[in-house]
Amino acid sequence: MAEQDEELDLKSLSDEELTEQMWDDLYDGLADEIVEGTQILLERGWQPYEVLTKALVEGMRVVGNDFRDGILFVPEVLLAANAMKAGMAILRPLLAETGAPKMGKMVIGTVKGDIHDIGKNLVSMMMEGAGFEVVDLGINNPVENYLDALVEHNADILGMSALLTTTMPYMKVVIDELKNRGMRDDYVVLVGGAPLNEEFANEIGADAYCRDAAVAVETAKSFMHRRHNQLRAAAG
Amino acid sequence: MRRGRHVAPLERRVANRTAAGARVVFADAGNTAGIMGIHGTMAIEDIDTIPGQTATPPVRRGRGGRGAEARRAARRGAAVRQATYIARRLAPVELLTEEGLSLIEQNADTVLQEIGIEFRDDPEALQIVADHGADVDGTRVRFPRGLCRSLIQAHAPAEFIQHARNPDRSVKIGGDATVFAPVYGPPFVRCLDHGRRYATIEDFRNLVKLAYSLPHLHHSGGTVCEPVDLPVNKRHLDMVAAHLLYSDKPFMGSVTAPERAADTVALARIVFGDDFVDRNCVVLSLINANSPMVWDGTMLGALKVYARANQAAICTPFILAGAMAPVTAAGVLTQTLAEAMAGMAFAQMVRPGAPVVFGSFASSMSMQSGAPTFGTPEPALVLYAAAQLARRLGVPFRSGGSLCGAKIADAQAAYESANTLMPAVMAGVNFVLHAAGWLEGGLVSSYEKLILDADQLGILQTFCGGIDLSEDAQAMAALVEVGPGSHFLGCAHTQAHFETAFYRSPIADNNSFEQWEAEGAKDGAERANAIWKRLLADYQQPEMEPATAEALAAFIARKKEAMPDASY
Repeated sequence: MAEQDEELDLKSLSDEELTEQMWDDLYDGLADEIVEGTQILLERGWQPYEVLTKALVEGMRVVGNDFRDGILFVPEVLLAANAMKAGMAILRPLLAETGAPKMGKMVIGTVKGDIHDIGKNLVSMMMEGAGFEVVDLGINNPVENYLDALVEHNADILGMSALLTTTMPYMKVVIDELKNRGMRDDYVVLVGGAPLNEEFANEIGADAYCRDAAVAVETAKSFMHRRHNQLRAAAG
Repeated sequence: MRRGRHVAPLERRVANRTAAGARVVFADAGNTAGIMGIHGTMAIEDIDTIPGQTATPPVRRGRGGRGAEARRAARRGAAVRQATYIARRLAPVELLTEEGLSLIEQNADTVLQEIGIEFRDDPEALQIVADHGADVDGTRVRFPRGLCRSLIQAHAPAEFIQHARNPDRSVKIGGDATVFAPVYGPPFVRCLDHGRRYATIEDFRNLVKLAYSLPHLHHSGGTVCEPVDLPVNKRHLDMVAAHLLYSDKPFMGSVTAPERAADTVALARIVFGDDFVDRNCVVLSLINANSPMVWDGTMLGALKVYARANQAAICTPFILAGAMAPVTAAGVLTQTLAEAMAGMAFAQMVRPGAPVVFGSFASSMSMQSGAPTFGTPEPALVLYAAAQLARRLGVPFRSGGSLCGAKIADAQAAYESANTLMPAVMAGVNFVLHAAGWLEGGLVSSYEKLILDADQLGILQTFCGGIDLSEDAQAMAALVEVGPGSHFLGCAHTQAHFETAFYRSPIADNNSFEQWEAEGAKDGAERANAIWKRLLADYQQPEMEPATAEALAAFIARKKEAMPDASY
């Protein structure tokens, strides 16, 4: 709509209007507008966690649903996730300062011998879009890359991908090493890639097989939810 | 057959039965070996009762090679009649004009010269390309305009023979030849009996045996499925051995590591002899680019091994357009040509004259999910034009296949596969990998679809023969003999040609509804299921010199002992 393309002063909007505008801006992948909206809400005294959940995560939930339903295309979701990421760049240090509950942090990478990373990149993008912090190790990762990064970044989730039938067994090497070092229970291990299936994930001792990026996000969310509940129960 | 016309009672009886489809029967699946031949043999019951103006009189005895028993034996014969590779008599479809082709070539040269191609994790390869005049900046290799083309045109053979251990099964790669090879790469197999599951070495051997038994698969292929039950670092030994032992058709080598490529060459030398292997192509291997614009260390390493051994490499950019290349056909063609030329030129730098094949695997993708899509129109356009580019470059071309995204051998599988197989034939593709058995975007080797696709290959092989315009094929004598208003079933020309006149599908059911229902109302996949089981039951291993087989076994045992099992 032409009239909506005219300059819109975000500051003139009420909190409710601005939040709804940010959902649309996320949907349209407008990173600059998301940055501005995030700053305005913070200036108005919103808690960082409130901005995250009410403006950004809620907006990305709509994006995720429409992606799932085939309304949004991959390149559009990519833009939306980039916009989300821009907002998160502002919020992340503030969230850490205020001790807000973490969405979760994921270390992800394609396994040793494999340099196919398009699927893995889609997962990274979607995870960031859902508010997760993602440490992307890239391609061709030996076991020590994963283990070092998990410890260094104090991650919650390990994600591994493989496209080749000759590289997917390496996931078991990584999981076995986690077990050897007594670290396996500290992390949720998610695996994905075309030649995998649930049976394979079970056999190598992963927590779940994620058939696509959307499922990876949902699975990660549900595991983090369980973790938070466990922590709360332990604290209580 | 017209109604109301006077025909002899016996003739009318047969004609009616023919029209009803109840009496003219095609051999059933229980007669697989005999009916999978090039043209099959039309079995008409009571054939000697078919009247006709010039029908051969019934022969009862004393005439060698004739009579019911002889004909039954000939038409139900156990021997599988193998087709040779296709020598096409059809001119390929030319989609792009000279102007269009030149444009793509110029753009590809611009990619090679200005953007460059990554040669990753292989310092020796970087040294080789630098020595041949390429500009190397880190791992980025920029080729001066025309360098790749001139190297390829100066040295790479336009066509070559890939020798099989049975000389009758050797294939020509390039020129007017088309060779069909089975599906390559799936980690899963599927059959009606057991559904979808991870492939094992037993599946691998079964699929090799089936490809050996199917006459229109001219090639044994390579990774007909991935035997995930075997250790990653050793499975190639059993895979290559399966091709050598259970088939006598040409085969493809391991590319998952340079040392596995070297093992492949060593096994081939045991079978073919050192000198023969050095002077002839006996292994054809699949070297895929990591599009966009990357050749990785694994592929370069395997390519070097094969090129040095004078063995053939198919340099194939593997492209899911939209993700790994631009979304347009022109963009995919440009990138494909640039990547393939870089790979083929590199092979010529390693060993001038090493046989190479220009490969193109191009699929579209669902922009809504990221899934690859097959049988779509855009990749077909790419296929036609890429074949033209290969012909202009003067090298053989690989593309096509029975590609589909379907999960089972259903209508989607059939349509999508047909939409890739027909372009492959019409474009003049020389080596059609994945020609049979592909399911689910290449994740699954399907036993039933292998049989269904192989039937299509038979159809296409016949189609490629073009129209025979010989005096006999003009059939003027038949037209004169029969004249208006009669029928051609009994005339001399039909009597001479009926057995081989039409390709006969072992799958298609053309019987009456009642007969189809009486026989269990089976669909194509169910009929295919019976056929592959029969083929496996009837399979006879081709002979091999015991000393050769022992040498193969000894090499493999030694290699397996030399290293522990590994998952990478």
